[in-house]
Parts: sequence; C-alpha cells; structure tokens
Amino acid sequence: MEPHNEAVAAAQQAQIEFRNFNFYYGDYHALRNINLPIHRCRVTAFIGPSGCGKSTLLRTINRMYDLYPNQRADGELLMNGRNLLDPKMDVAALRARVGMVFQKPTPFPMSIYDNIAFGVRLHERLSRGDMEARVEWALRKAALWDEVKSKLKASGTSLSGGQQQRLCIARGIAVKPEVLLLDEPTSALDPISTGRIEELIDELKSEFTIVIVTHNMQQAARISDYTAYMYLGELIEFGVTDSIFLKPQRPETERYITGRFG
Amino acid sequence: MQERVRRAALPSAHEDAGSASRQHRPNESWGDRLFGGLAGGLAVLALVLLGGILVALTIASWPSIQKFGIGFLFSAEWNPPAEKFGALVPVYGTLVTSAIALILAVPVSLGIAIFLTELSPVWLRRPLGTAIELLAAIPSIVYGMWGLLVFAPLFAQHIEPALASTLGKLPLVGALFDGPPLGIGLLCAGIILAVMIVPYISAVMRDVFELTPAMLKESAYGLGSTTWEVMWSVVIPYTRNGLIGGIMLGLGRALGETMAVTFVIGNTNFLSSPSLFLPGNSITSALANEFAEADPGLHTSALMELGLILFLITLVVLMFSRLLLARLNRAAGA
Repeated sequence: MEPHNEAVAAAQQAQIEFRNFNFYYGDYHALRNINLPIHRCRVTAFIGPSGCGKSTLLRTINRMYDLYPNQRADGELLMNGRNLLDPKMDVAALRARVGMVFQKPTPFPMSIYDNIAFGVRLHERLSRGDMEARVEWALRKAALWDEVKSKLKASGTSLSGGQQQRLCIARGIAVKPEVLLLDEPTSALDPISTGRIEELIDELKSEFTIVIVTHNMQQAARISDYTAYMYLGELIEFGVTDSIFLKPQRPETERYITGRFG
Repeated sequence: MQERVRRAALPSAHEDAGSASRQHRPNESWGDRLFGGLAGGLAVLALVLLGGILVALTIASWPSIQKFGIGFLFSAEWNPPAEKFGALVPVYGTLVTSAIALILAVPVSLGIAIFLTELSPVWLRRPLGTAIELLAAIPSIVYGMWGLLVFAPLFAQHIEPALASTLGKLPLVGALFDGPPLGIGLLCAGIILAVMIVPYISAVMRDVFELTPAMLKESAYGLGSTTWEVMWSVVIPYTRNGLIGGIMLGLGRALGETMAVTFVIGNTNFLSSPSLFLPGNSITSALANEFAEADPGLHTSALMELGLILFLITLVVLMFSRLLLARLNRAAGA
C-alpha cells in the first residue's frame, strides 16, 4: 500500500484534479465518477483498451469538447484550484495554458516559422526579434532546430512525419503553456521517431506538466511517472507507474498490463 | 519443359510472378485492356469534340476575322445594315458583369460556407444548405423575369440613387456609379448573376471546408484560436485549391449565362460612359438576340466570332486559374 499512500500525499499538490467527474456524449455516459490528480512537472499516462475513455478524459482538460454540441461534463475539474468547467471560463486563455498534440501530425498550411509563430501571435504581441527568438527557443526545446534552421520558410508539410510531430510539439510549447496534452503522439510514427519523441517528453517534463494517452504499455512504463488505468469509462487504478506495472493492486489492471486482455 | 526454359530466362522474380498470374488469369488482363482502351477512347473523344468545336467556330467566323482583323476587338461599332461589326461592347459587358458577380458572390459564398460548416446550429444546417442549393435549381429565365419585373424597378428607385449619392461622390470609382438610374444595365445584370452563382460557389466551398480534417481544426482551436482565426489562417489556406475551383465554376457560369442577362442588361451596343448604371450588352445576349435574324454572311460570321471570343475568354480564365494555383502552391512551399 505504501506507493499508493505516496500518490495520495502527492495529490495534495496536484496541478490538475478531477473530482467526481462525469462526461456525456449526448445520453451516453462516457466517463463515470473520475477522481484523479495530475502532478506538476510530471508525466502522467492514461492507458486502457480502445474505447475506455482515456482520450475523452484528456480532451476535457482543454475543453476541446466545447466544439461539439451534445458533449458535456459535470463534477469538478480543477486546475490550480480553479474549476475549468465553469461556463464563465475563458476557453481561449485556457487553451493558451494547455497545449495539445494529436495522434497524427497536423502542421498548418504555412511555413515552419509561421507554424510556431501562429499560436504566439494569438496571445502576445512580440517584436520581430523577440518572435524569432521565441521560435528558435521552441524549436530547440522540441529538438528540431538543427534540422530546420536553414529552411524556416519552407512549408511545414514538407517535413517528415516525425519532424512534423516535433513541429507540432514545438508549436504547443511556443505559447509557453503549463500543461501539454499528448494524445497518442507516436501512434503514426516509426520506431526511431518514436524514440526521439520519448526522449523529448523526458526533457520537457522539467518545465511542463505532461499528460499522455498511449496504447503502448511499454511506452507508458518507459516515460511516465504516474499511470492511470481506465476501463469502460471508469478509472480502475491510479498510482506511481512503477507500482502499477510491478505490483498492480487490482486484478483487472494486472490482466491488462500482462497482456491477457485488451 | 518449355515453361521451365522460359522461366529461367526471365530476369527477375517480380516479373516472373507477373507472368505467372497473367497465365493463370488471362481474363483479367483482357478485361483491363478493354477497360483502359474504352476509358482512354472516351477521354480522347472529349478532346476531339473540343478541337472540333474550335475548328468549326474558326471556319464560320473566318470572313469576319479576315475583314476586321484584330480591330474587331477594339471597335465599339455594331451596325448590321452597314456591315460594320466590333466586339468591344459585348466583350466589355461580359467581362464587367462577370467581375461584378464575382466581387459580390465570393464574400457572400464564403460567409455562407463558414456559417454552414462552423457556426450554424446543427438542426439548421441541412434545411439552410438545401435552400441555398435550391437557388441553383431556379431556371435562369425565371431569374431574368424576376430581375426585369421586380428587381430592376426597385433597383432604379432605391438602390441606384443611394449608390450615386454615396459611392458616386468618390474620386476615381465615382464615375462607375454616375448617371440616370435606369434599373436595367450592367450593374443590375452583375447583381442578378451574383445571386445565380452564389449557390454554386457556396456549395463547393462548404464541401471543401467539410473535408478539412477535424484534427487540423482542433489543433488550431487547441492553441486558443477563435473560429475566425481557425477559418482564416488554417482552413482557408488548407482548402484554397478547392475554393479557387469553386470560384472558377461560378465565373464559368457567369461568363456563359445568357437568358437572365439578356432580360436585364439592356441590349444596346453603345458605350458612352464608364457608368455601370448604363445599359450595355454581353456576348451571350448579343448572340441570343441577333442570331435568328442575322443574314447569312458577314453578320452571322461576326456573331460566330463573338462565340469564338467567349470560348477563348473562358479558356484564358481557366489557364489563369491554373497559373494562380501553381503560384499559390509554390508560395506555400507545397
């Protein structure tokens, strides 16, 4: 039980916290009574079989579901103590603090430079020199600078898949968010690109709180500090990654991570 | 034995597999060849027809081409009894009415498409989309009658005086909105054309907006963009080929529209001032009005040459749009 106590103790200083959180697609009750802390400057992985609700849970943190009618949430979702579900919440400002990267690279139809500068321009007025510095900073953070510094004017779509995904990470970082949401960021990439993204996540966690959804349990074990196992819209188990993978408390979790199911 | 020798002579395993499958399923290859030939033949047929029409038009307009030469394009005189013909007025009318139609229809269509894909409540999308598509189902002669009997009088009474007292006072563009409010004229024809091409352009724009991957839009929203920023900076650049295609479809229709324009353009071959309030003529309405009464000879030949010019204008517009696309794609680095 000791690691779990540790987790509970850490929950006191969680940056994001789900409390009695429910989510609905129309009449379908997709997430049931989720209680979960997400820790500052740590990597938290959501794992579970397809359709368990892990992506749905991730997408509530930047209120992406707002774009779609008939999707709604209740309960509490606290970030730095404020309830993000508050209808008066400024969603654009929230999204500036919570960056997101998707399953497939989604470079915008513009140059590499503008891909990074796009998000910054939405929220800040920077001089030309400051903007150039910011773009370089973000590209260096995303370990892409050396590969693109000579062709910042080239189209974002001209890069390889792995480079495009790092471009998307750089784009998310450039607005200086507190939290990065990664929705299966390596599922469309080859093993070498995947390795680079994983190294990158490890470096980024010193500055950003990272939440990652992954289908790949080895990946969750390699890169995350905390793991949440979900099944059929419920949070089955949450704890320090090592204890989840080595000594799962619940038999369902053990069956999933040992590959007997899922 | 023969088979083995043949196989040994084959250079690679890949080709070997190909030849084996061909031997096992000879029908497939035969069917493919037939299908390929048929499809290719039809494609060539379309080209032959296009060339045939071009040749036939050129032959029929040859007497006029010989008589007037390049001056045909620059002469505003159209006098059948004197056998003097110049295409300036109808060509000008066609270009100006189509330009007015595009200037008005493109922003409106863009707004409709953005509303239908991004802003409209879901229950309203289908009925509204269908209603706009129904605009395309109205026969053009109905637009013409409506334009002549309903719109033109209203236009002359209310809109033209208002335009003359506002835009007409500006330097440079003022001359375009000057003169007697007659109702029928170039501006009226351009507006009717705009209404007619809005459904085409907006339907294409809506379709290409819907093809934009949801993940791309979510990426932009995820950075904190507003709907407008997502549309303007991400969706419109992403779909620009389709958007330009839609605009060209509308322009093609505006250039070729005959019936509605004939009703409201005024059908005079005089061009005395740059005012858009004045009646004029377009290539298509000149053809529609005069062809039945034209004497065989120079008059018919001049009308044929007008048709040829319209054909060439459309061709140039198409090629220009290709060039524009190529330049845009190069600018985006794609």
